[in-house]
Amino acid sequence: MGEFLKNLVEVISFIAIPLMFLLFLGWGLIKKVKVYEVFVEGAKDGFNVAIRIIPYLVAMLAAIGIFRASGAMELLITVLAPVTGLIGMPPETLPMALMRPLSGSGSLGIMTELMKVHGPDSLIGIMASTMYGSSETTFYVLAVYFGTVSIKNTRHAVPTGIIADVAGMLAAVWIVNLLFR
Amino acid sequence: MLNYIWIGLILIGLFVAVGNDIIDEVQNPYRNGEPFVSTVLLKKAPSGIRQTWEGDLVAPPDYFNGFYGTQRTQEPIRQPAVISKSADGTASLTMNITDASPAWWREMAKSAGSKERLLGRVVEFSVSEDQTSARVQVVFESIRFVKLKAVTQAALDYAAIAVNIALGLIGIMALWLGMMKVAEEAGLLQVLTRILTPVTKRLFPDVPPDHPAVGAIIMNIAANMLGLSNAATPLGLKAMEELNKLNPKVGTATNAMVTFLAINTGGLILLPATAIAVRAAAGSSNPGIIIGTSIVGAGCATIAGIAASKLLQRLPRYKKAMEV
Repeated sequence: MGEFLKNLVEVISFIAIPLMFLLFLGWGLIKKVKVYEVFVEGAKDGFNVAIRIIPYLVAMLAAIGIFRASGAMELLITVLAPVTGLIGMPPETLPMALMRPLSGSGSLGIMTELMKVHGPDSLIGIMASTMYGSSETTFYVLAVYFGTVSIKNTRHAVPTGIIADVAGMLAAVWIVNLLFR
Repeated sequence: MLNYIWIGLILIGLFVAVGNDIIDEVQNPYRNGEPFVSTVLLKKAPSGIRQTWEGDLVAPPDYFNGFYGTQRTQEPIRQPAVISKSADGTASLTMNITDASPAWWREMAKSAGSKERLLGRVVEFSVSEDQTSARVQVVFESIRFVKLKAVTQAALDYAAIAVNIALGLIGIMALWLGMMKVAEEAGLLQVLTRILTPVTKRLFPDVPPDHPAVGAIIMNIAANMLGLSNAATPLGLKAMEELNKLNPKVGTATNAMVTFLAINTGGLILLPATAIAVRAAAGSSNPGIIIGTSIVGAGCATIAGIAASKLLQRLPRYKKAMEV
């Protein structure tokens, strides 16, 4: 069942984009839309959107870079390590949980490292990869998405994102312990 | 809130960096100013005017670990080095640091004057009678302010990375915006939107069900679930632009925007392709075993995010921020 689902989703993810192109353009052709002209008209905005997010992205990534390079993460891990045992979370996976919302490349590096050291099919390896799949790079998403529309007052977006991250990490710990311990 | 998180990351980063560097000053883990005693197996003797010796610097692991204070290495040290004597009699040592070098020296070279080299001042140098080896005492260049240097470098590097990411977006952004425009003109998005109205009406009560924003949101979520991040980001940004057209207070996030972001940061994905690829590369017997657990984890994150956005938006302080 799991294998079948995996293959199915894999196939879908390969053919999805060509299929979408076909559907969009084909539908447009049937509805007698001047597809080329309309496409170019819409594509014009691409440049502006990308340029608009630069200041937001620079601000966010530079702050995350400073935090990561300073060794503050190691300090945070020492402080939090006693707590993780209580919820059944191996302390080795704590850097993963903390890095996931901050940096995609950083958490990818941690996941790879954990699998190299502990093996991909160990509890730690499974938990790290589940954690990686259980959340998005929240702060990157915030910076980019709000950047495009020049939002400065983010209201409750940050607490919401953090609640979602914590819930995702706790759920990952719970389900992996339930199934693989 | 983002204000405090942002300044918090920077301030904590700077304070911790300074703290770590002060600890380094006291503990001196790089042994600044202390001579490292070892033997150089000479390969090339000086010729003509230039007084240089080339060879391999060797040291037993016990001495290396004892010198630097901890278990830094298991292997005997064998590191190519060049010693050159200048006219006034002082000698210097240069080591090209490669992946074969001891990890601790690689670490030191990162913060040294030149990233690929570690330099040292030779305090004692005596060549054996048969000219094949030499005893050498060398004081390596001082390594200090490691974390502050790293922090500076990181700030500059990440600023450049941010621009690269944004520039890389231009092409795919244009492609998907063009496609979306065609779908919109052809009425395809409206059809999609109508089918999913019962769901979107509840998630985004402030957005009219036939608004173009809904179409973009649906496309973004679909792309995210299929793991098509190249398509998801441009579609998501398009959705944000459409949502912003309904924004009564420019520059402030609306309820719909926050709910939309909660769905996005939850990261619900049917096939966590990156994690599976890494697992397969690491030699897992069943790389796909995490599909189910990831869906549970991301599902919980998404539900918690949506619930939190709906509850928090009622708090007086967030309501007030929305008043025009």
